[in-house]
Formats: sequence, C-alpha cells, structure tokens
Amino acid sequence: MTVKQYFTLVDTIARLSLKAEARRYYFGFWWWVIEPLLYVAVFYIVFEKFLGTRTQDFLMFLIVGKFTFIWFSKTVNYAGNSLMGNASLIGRMDLPKTLFPMAVVLECSYRQIAVFALLGVALIIDGYRPNGYWLWVLPLICVEALLIVLCGFIASVLVCMKRDFALLINLGMLFLLFMSGVFWDLNDIGNEATREAILLWNPVAFLLHSFRQVLLWQQTPDLGHLLGLTVFLSVGLVLVARGMSRYRYYLAQRVVTA
Amino acid sequence: MMPALKLTNVGMRFALNSGGDSGHFQALRELNLQVNRGDKLGLVGNNGAGKSTLLRIMAGIYNPGSGTVWRAPELSIALLSLGLGFKNDLTGRENALLAAVLQGMSKSEAKSHLNAIGEFTELGRFYDEPVKSYSSGMRTRLGFATGLLLDTDILLLDEILAVGDQSFRNKAREALAQKITADRTVILVHHIEHAIREICSRVVWLEQGQVKADGPTSEVLEAYLNSAN
Repeated sequence: MTVKQYFTLVDTIARLSLKAEARRYYFGFWWWVIEPLLYVAVFYIVFEKFLGTRTQDFLMFLIVGKFTFIWFSKTVNYAGNSLMGNASLIGRMDLPKTLFPMAVVLECSYRQIAVFALLGVALIIDGYRPNGYWLWVLPLICVEALLIVLCGFIASVLVCMKRDFALLINLGMLFLLFMSGVFWDLNDIGNEATREAILLWNPVAFLLHSFRQVLLWQQTPDLGHLLGLTVFLSVGLVLVARGMSRYRYYLAQRVVTA
Repeated sequence: MMPALKLTNVGMRFALNSGGDSGHFQALRELNLQVNRGDKLGLVGNNGAGKSTLLRIMAGIYNPGSGTVWRAPELSIALLSLGLGFKNDLTGRENALLAAVLQGMSKSEAKSHLNAIGEFTELGRFYDEPVKSYSSGMRTRLGFATGLLLDTDILLLDEILAVGDQSFRNKAREALAQKITADRTVILVHHIEHAIREICSRVVWLEQGQVKADGPTSEVLEAYLNSAN
C-alpha cells in the first residue's frame, strides 16, 4: 500500500465515521461543540461557584485546559478499541494495523477543528486579542497530535492484547484529568521540584500549561522541553509503527480470535 | 505447470480464550499444497477443518506458525468474502465507497462505481439507508456486489455464493463466471456442492488441518460426501 493509498483510506474512514456519528444523534454535528461546552459548564459551576477557586479568569483558564485535554482523552480512548472494532475487516484483508487508530485520530482531529475555532471565539469575546504568541499554538497542536497518535497506537495494541486495558485506559484518562492541571494551575504548586517533575513526566500537563502560556499569559513556552518532547515522541512513534508492522500477523490473529 | 502458491509443512495453532498454557487449537498441521496458475481449486471439509485459516494464510493475513508459504511475486492475491467489514451506521452506498477504497481504488474511481454497485444489489432506496436496517439477504447482496470490484490474479472466494434468493443467486453466479477467466487462479470454499462442481476442476479435502485428499473434483467430492453420509 502506497502512502497516498494509506492516507486516502484513513481520510475516507474518518469522514464516513463522522457522517455516521452525526446521523446517529438529533443534534448531529452540533455535539462537537456542545459536549466540551457542557464539560466546561459543569467544572465551572463546581470549582468557581461552589468551591470559589482563586485562579484568575478561571473560565478561560478552564476552557483552554479542557478543550485541549478532551482532544487527547477522547481520541486515545476511541483509538484503544479501533483494532478490535474492525475485527471482521482485519480478518479479511492484510491492511496496515496502524490504519485503524490513525483513522480515529483523524476523525477526532476533524472534530477538534470546531473546538479550537470555538476556543478562539471564546478568547476574543472575553477580551483577549490575537497576538504573536498565539502563533505558538500551531507547533503545540502538532506536538499534541504526535502525542495522541503515539498513545493511540499503543492503546490499540494493548486492548488487542487484553481487553482489560480498555478499562485501564479509561481510568488512566481520569487520572490524567486530575494530574494535568485541567482545573488547577501548575503555578500554584508550592514545591518547585514537584512542579518540575509533573511538567517533565506528564506531557499532557506540559502541553496544557504551554497552551495557557501562549493564549492567556503572553509567554513563550519552554522551547527546550518542547523540542525534546517532539524528538522523543517522533522516535517513539517510528518505533511503535514499525513494531505494529512487524507484528501485523500476530495482531491480526489476536483480533480475529479474541 | 507454473506454481502460483506453494505451502510447505504449514502449521498453525491458536491460543484458546479460556486461557492456560495448554489451551490451544491446532488449525493446520504439516500441510503441503501447491496451487498452479489458472487452477480452479475447491476446498472442502467439515467446520473446523482449517479452510478459513488456510485462506487467510494464502491471502497473507496470517503468517503460519510453522512451515513456509511462497506466493508468485508478480501475482496479486485477495480474499473475497461477503460483508467486507460493513459498518452498521453507514449507508449501503457509503459502505460500498469504503469497500472500493479498501480494495485500492482512489476516491474518485470508487465513486464512479457506486451507482453500478447500487443497481447490481437491487436494494433500491435501501442503498441510501444505514446497513443496520438491512436484512441478512440485503447485506450479502451488498457484500457480493462490492466484492466483485476485486480484480486480482489469485482470487480466494469464501462462501460468496450464499447470496439471497434464487434469482439473485443466478445473477451472482453469472457475474462471478465473468471474473473466473481461464488464466485466473481461483480457490473456492463453499458448502454448496454444485457450486464447486461448476467452478472447480480440482478439489482439496481438509480434515483436522491436513490434506486428506487432493484430486479431480468428482473423485474427491464423492469421497468427501460419502464420508459425511
């Protein structure tokens, strides 16, 4: 299969899945923005109104964090089931096994375009004006996409090995929600070493923090960290993709006989 | 005779889901088989004899656990079976588009086939309805019509003539006959005896993952049917 065929297939599967999903619900495509808005509304009520958070401009702080987190969490969750969900196809054709999680990543990324557009509108309505720092959003999106693809590939293989991983990935996303500063500020951590450790070992926390730096606080993200993360994710992605290609027969057997 | 496929001492076993180190099912054992170019080969055997596993190994979906598989490098090979991974929420037309792209077509090329596929299936307005609303007969019609797009040198056919009512079955048989040209290698798995007699000149009888008999259709088929009775 050529690279062009691969991406034609990925794009076709992603677009058809989006159409099918929109057809399934009464509000159709509107759910792409309704869902993240509902999440933000609930978090806002709990943390701002009930608990009285001290974070400045908490609504925008929360929107930036939640909108970028939801892309990661939903995609990796869906990608985890992508190989098992295509068992009948995998049992009939020798297709690259990365195709299925990749199609999920693209499907969720198409949906995320609407979410990022909504984020931009929300920022402008709240009084933020586009500035040079906002350009950093593009490399940040690329690095988050790399992270999502890598985690999506790994999740699909793990669920293929043992179904239990689907539950663990779900729990992992909940764990990350609390550990990545979606609704609390990493700058509030008094212990510098703990803060640095979270940023170093949790790429989701680092990316969320970086998005806030460029969109809300007019700061440049930690470029050294960003570059290091890009290299690490790229190498990881090549290794995992090669592994999935090398063990494609084994994966097909696991999927078909599960 | 020029070989198209050669399987030497092929073995395949699967771990059973019940777990435990000893939980395995031996689907194929020490299987030797050569398929020559232009052969029309039928595969028969009881359920669990290893027919589907053998087709998947031939198609390159599985790698055998032991032994070797040689495929003529210049020949393309594909497995045609009904319901090529249909997605229930997609319409018949969308599934046909997906199936065509999966079979290597560009999107525009795939779109150019969609109306013809719709006409062949005789699904009418259901062609634009989600597949989840289809009867099993409608699904198999769509599966057959999308499968017909395959155009490879070696065609592996898995139970594809079990399609709906008699009139559609006749139409399907005619369409398939056009695909089965003299130079095309065909390997057919089918439970309907006369389909094998009609298409195949040679039959391989599999039993417990091994070749029990290999020879002219009438001879092997008769032995197989006698054993079943």
